[in-house]
Amino acid sequence: MKHSCKFLHSSIGKKFTVGAAGVLLCLFLVFHLSGNMLLFVGESQFNAFANTLDTNPLIPAAEIILAAIFFAHVVVSLWLRWQNKQARPVGYADYRAKGGRTAGSRTMTWTALLVLAFLIIHVKAFRFGGRDGGMYHLVLSSLSNPYMAGFYLLALAGLALHLSHGVQSAFQTFGLNHPKYMPAVKALGWAFALIICGGFAVIPIWALIKGGL
Amino acid sequence: MTLDPKVPEGPIEQKWDKHRFNLKLVNPANKRKFEILVVGTGLAGSSAAASLAELGYNVKVFCIQDSPRRAHSIAAQGGINAAKNYPNDGDSIWRLFYDTVKGGDFRSREANVYRLAQVSNNIIDQCVAQGVPFAREYGGTLSNRSFGGAQVSRTFYARGQTGQQLLLGAYQALMRQVGRGQVQMFPRRELLELVVVDGAARGIVCRNLITGKTESYAGHAVLLCTGGYGNVFYLSTNAMASNVSATWRAHKKGAFFANPCYTQIHPTCIPVSGDYQSKLTLMSESLRNDGRVWVPKKKGDTRAPRQIPEEERDYYLERKYPSFGNLVPRDVASRNAKQMTDEGRGVGETGLSVYLDFSDAIKRLGEEKIKEKYGNLFDMYHHITSENPYQVPMRIYPAVHYTMGGLWVDYNLMTTIPGLFCLGEANFSDHGANRLGASALMQGLSDGYFVAPYTLGGYLASAKLGAVQSGHPAFREAERAVEERIKTLLAVKGKKTAVEFHRDLGRLLWDDCGMARNAKGLKEALAKIPAMREEFWKNVDVTGSGEELNMTLERAGRVADYLEFSELMVRDALHREESCGGHFREEYQTADGEAKRDDEKFSYVAAWEFKGVGQDAQLHKEPLAFENVHLAQRSYA
Amino acid sequence: MNEKKKLNLTLKIWRQKGPGDAGRFVECKAENISPDASFLEMLDVVNEGLVKRGEEAIAFDSDCREGICGMCSLVINGKPHGPELGTATCQLHMRTFQDGDTITVEPFRAKAFPPVKDLVVDRSAFDRIVAAGGFVSVNTGNPQDANSILIGHAVAEKAMDAAACIGCGACVAACPNASAMLFVAAKVSHLALLPQGQPERMRRVAQMRAQMDAEGFGNCSNEYACEAACPKEISVRAIARLNREYLKASLCSEE
Repeated sequence: MKHSCKFLHSSIGKKFTVGAAGVLLCLFLVFHLSGNMLLFVGESQFNAFANTLDTNPLIPAAEIILAAIFFAHVVVSLWLRWQNKQARPVGYADYRAKGGRTAGSRTMTWTALLVLAFLIIHVKAFRFGGRDGGMYHLVLSSLSNPYMAGFYLLALAGLALHLSHGVQSAFQTFGLNHPKYMPAVKALGWAFALIICGGFAVIPIWALIKGGL
Repeated sequence: MTLDPKVPEGPIEQKWDKHRFNLKLVNPANKRKFEILVVGTGLAGSSAAASLAELGYNVKVFCIQDSPRRAHSIAAQGGINAAKNYPNDGDSIWRLFYDTVKGGDFRSREANVYRLAQVSNNIIDQCVAQGVPFAREYGGTLSNRSFGGAQVSRTFYARGQTGQQLLLGAYQALMRQVGRGQVQMFPRRELLELVVVDGAARGIVCRNLITGKTESYAGHAVLLCTGGYGNVFYLSTNAMASNVSATWRAHKKGAFFANPCYTQIHPTCIPVSGDYQSKLTLMSESLRNDGRVWVPKKKGDTRAPRQIPEEERDYYLERKYPSFGNLVPRDVASRNAKQMTDEGRGVGETGLSVYLDFSDAIKRLGEEKIKEKYGNLFDMYHHITSENPYQVPMRIYPAVHYTMGGLWVDYNLMTTIPGLFCLGEANFSDHGANRLGASALMQGLSDGYFVAPYTLGGYLASAKLGAVQSGHPAFREAERAVEERIKTLLAVKGKKTAVEFHRDLGRLLWDDCGMARNAKGLKEALAKIPAMREEFWKNVDVTGSGEELNMTLERAGRVADYLEFSELMVRDALHREESCGGHFREEYQTADGEAKRDDEKFSYVAAWEFKGVGQDAQLHKEPLAFENVHLAQRSYA
Repeated sequence: MNEKKKLNLTLKIWRQKGPGDAGRFVECKAENISPDASFLEMLDVVNEGLVKRGEEAIAFDSDCREGICGMCSLVINGKPHGPELGTATCQLHMRTFQDGDTITVEPFRAKAFPPVKDLVVDRSAFDRIVAAGGFVSVNTGNPQDANSILIGHAVAEKAMDAAACIGCGACVAACPNASAMLFVAAKVSHLALLPQGQPERMRRVAQMRAQMDAEGFGNCSNEYACEAACPKEISVRAIARLNREYLKASLCSEE
C-alpha cells in the first residue's frame, strides 16, 4: 500500500495514472461507438441494445467503475495542472517555446472542460432522461435540434484535439518511445482521434438530416 | 629558506611505493576529527574532495561558479593520456614518463612525472568504474587515438568532450559525498585570503558572491585546486571566472610561486575579431593533419584568399620545416604565425591571423571524407565566424591556453606553507616548460584521486595541529583586510573600468611576454606594470555595492591581483635567459630558429618568494637532475 | 574584406535587485554591436557602457563561453538560449539579429530556480538531484581494469548522448510546466544504459525522482519544448526511458 501510494503521489506516477485512465476511457469510447453504430442497423435493434444495457444488473457496477476512471483522469489531471501552475509563479513576458507543442497539447485543459460540459449535458439527457419513445427516438429528437447538434459537433472536435495529443502522449508516459515506432504512434493517435470522433459526429449530422426531413 | 622537494630515495620506479609505505597513516576513527578545505572543483578539486570524504575526513568544498560541475576542466576537448598500451603499439609507463619529460623540455621534476605516468592507468580504471562514457570499439573495448608529442596512441576520449565527462564523473563522486553529509558544498564563494596560524595553513576567508558577506572557514589543511592564470592575458581560452587570485593570495601569505613565465600558447584558435571579444575558442590541433598553413608573400595583400595565385602564397611551415611541415609542435607553429603577422603578412580584417587551407585536402580526399574527419570542427568554425571553411580557408591564430607555472609544491604536493596543498593546473606541475596534449586531465585527476589523499594523511598524522576556530584573531585580521580592500575598490570611483585595465594589461603581456619575449620588451613591461597598477587604484570605476552580487566588483578584485602577479611573471621571464618550451626568448635560439636551452645555468625550478607589492621577489632555486631521461635538444627541421 | 555593418538594438531587459524585489523590464540601447560578437559579448559592451555612466551592470551568468559549462542561461525573445537550435546563449551570435531589432531578455523562470539578481537564478536544485542518486557508488581505489567492462559501441554512444547534458536548465525554462524531467532523464539514462550503473539502477531513479519532485519542478506534459531548447539536443526518448525506469523500480524494488 505504502509503495503504491508513493508511486501514485509521484510526478511520474500521476502522469501514469492519467495516461492509464485515458487509455481505458479510449476503450470505452470504442465500445460506445460500436453500440451507437446500431442506430444505422435499425430502430428496433438499437432500442433492444439500449434496453439490454438498461436492464443488465452489471451495468450500474460498470458505470461506477467508469465514473471512477473518469474521475481519476480528471482529478489527477487537475492536480498536475495545479502543480504545473505552482512551478512557475512568475510567468514570461514573452514565451515562444518550440518543440512538440501542438494545438492539441496547448489546449488540453480547454478541450477537457469542453468535453466535461458536454458530458454533463449528454449524461443528463441520455442516461437519466426519459426513454418514452425508445432510445432511437430520443437520439433523433434531441440531436435534430440544430443547436444541440452543433454543440455535439463542437465537443467532438474538442475531443479529437484532446485525443490527438493524449494518445501519443500516453505512449511516452508509459515509456514507449522508440525512433522506429514513434512516428507510427503519432499517426495512430491522430487516426484514432479522427475515427472515433468522426464516427460519433456522423450521428448528429444524420439526426439533423433525418429530423429535418 | 631552502627548498626541499622531499623526493624519496631509491630507483625511480620504486619511489612512490616506498613513499606511500613511509607516509604515516591516520587511524580511520581519527579521520573524522579533521576538517579539510578544498578550494576549486575542477578535476583536481572534485576528485580530491570526493576521495578524502570517502576516507572519512570532513570536507568543505568551495567553488566560484554556481555549481561544482561548471569548473573549467569541463571545456577540455581532446582526451586523457594513460600508459595502458591497449593498442599494443609499444607504450609503457616508462615511455609516457619519457615523453612527458622530453615534451616539457626538461624542466620538470623526474620523480613527479614518473608517478604521474604510474597512476595514469588507475585513473582510466577509476573513471570507467564511475560510468564515464569513453569511446568504445565495436567489440566493447576502449578506443584510443594519437595526440601530439607521442608516437603511440595512448589518448582516451569521449567525443570532443573528454574534460566534461571526466569532470562529471568526479562531480558525481563529489555530490555522492554531499548527499552522505561528508562534504559540505559552498558554491559561489571566492577565496580572498588564506589564513595562516603558527606557520600552518588553517583556514580561508572568502566572499559569498551572492550576499557579499565575508565568511571564514577553519580547517586542518587547505587544498588549492583553483586552476591556471591564463586570463592574465585578458584573452585566452580560459573561462571568464578563471583567475589567479587564490594562488596569488596564498603566494602573498608565503607560498612560493614557481615558473610563472611558462605559459602555453595553442596554435589553432579562432582569431580575435574585435575589441568586444571576451574569450578565444580553441580548435583541435588535429586540423593541421590536413590543413596547409599559409600567408600571402606580399605585405598588406588584401585580396580574397582565392584570388591569390599559388605562386604568391607562402606556405611558411612547409618551407621552413620540410620534414615536419604543418605538423611542427605547438610552440613552433604558434611562434611562426606571430612572426608572419609581425611582418605585416597576416590576413583577415585585423591582420592578426593566418590561413589554414583545406582546399588541397578536399581535392585529394573529397569533401565527404573531410566532413567525416573534421565535420564538427568545421561546423563550429562556421558557426562562430560565419565563414564556410569548405569554401574559404580557415583563419587561425595562437591563443593562451594553459599555464605550466603555479605554486611550488614538493613531492607531496604541499606548498612552502605547511598544510597548504596545491593540485592540478594551479601548482607548478609536472609539465615542465611545455605540456603535451591530453596530459592536463591526467595530472588533475592524478593529484586529486591518487596523490593528495595519501600525502595529506601523511601530513595530518605527523603535524601537531592545535585547535583553531574561525573566531581566531588571524581570521578577524584576514576578514578586515578583505573588507578594507573591497571598500577601497568601491571608493575610488574613477573613470576607467576594470575591464579596460585588464584589456590594457593583457595587450602589454601578449606583446612583451607572449609567444616570443626579449629582454628589451620584458624590461619595458616591467616598467609599465607598476604604473598601470598605480593608475588602477586611483582611477578604477566600480559601480554597485559590496553587499550583493556584484560582478563588476569581482572583476576589479581579480584584475588588481593580475596587476601584481603579472610583474612576477615578467620578472621570471626576464631572469630565465634561455628558451625552453613555452618560454621563448628571442635572444636564445638556434641558427634555425629553435628554442635553445641553457642546461648549465637554468636547469632549475624558479620559485619566487613574495617580499611585498612592488618589491623584488626573492628567487629560490630547486635544481633539476635528469638521471633517467637524457637531456637533448629538440629539432624539427 | 568589407567592413561588416554594425547593429543598433533595443534591449528589453529584466532587472531585479534581489529575491525580494518584484523586478521589471528596463529598456536600454546596445549600439555599434559587431555582428560577429556573441550575445554575451553584446551584454558585456552594454555593461561597460552602464558602468561608465555610473550605473550598475546587468548581472548575468556565464563562464566558459564555448557552450559546455552550462553556466549561461537567459530567455531571449521567448526562447531559452535564443532562437538557434542546439546552441547555448554564449554561442549565439549577433548576426542572428537585424539592425533595429528589439530583443526581450528574461531570466529562466521556475519556482525551483529562485531569482538571485537581474538575469541570475539559483539552479542548485540540479546539484541536489544529482546528490540524491545521480552517481555510481564507487570509491576511489583500485577498480578492475577498464577493459574488463565491455560496452558495445552503440551503447557507449547512446550513453554519451545522454551524458552530454550540460546542466544549464534550459529544459526547465522552456517547459510550459517548468519540469526538470529532461535533466533527470539524461542522467538516469546515461547510467541505466551502462553496466556500471546496474547495481543502483532502481534506487537511483527512485531517489532522483523524489528529489526532483521535492524541489518543486512541474510535471511533464509531453510537449517536448525541452528537447527543442536543449543546447545539446538531448532527445525526449530519455524521458520515456526515465518513465520506464521509474515504473519498473516502483513495481520491482523492495525498498
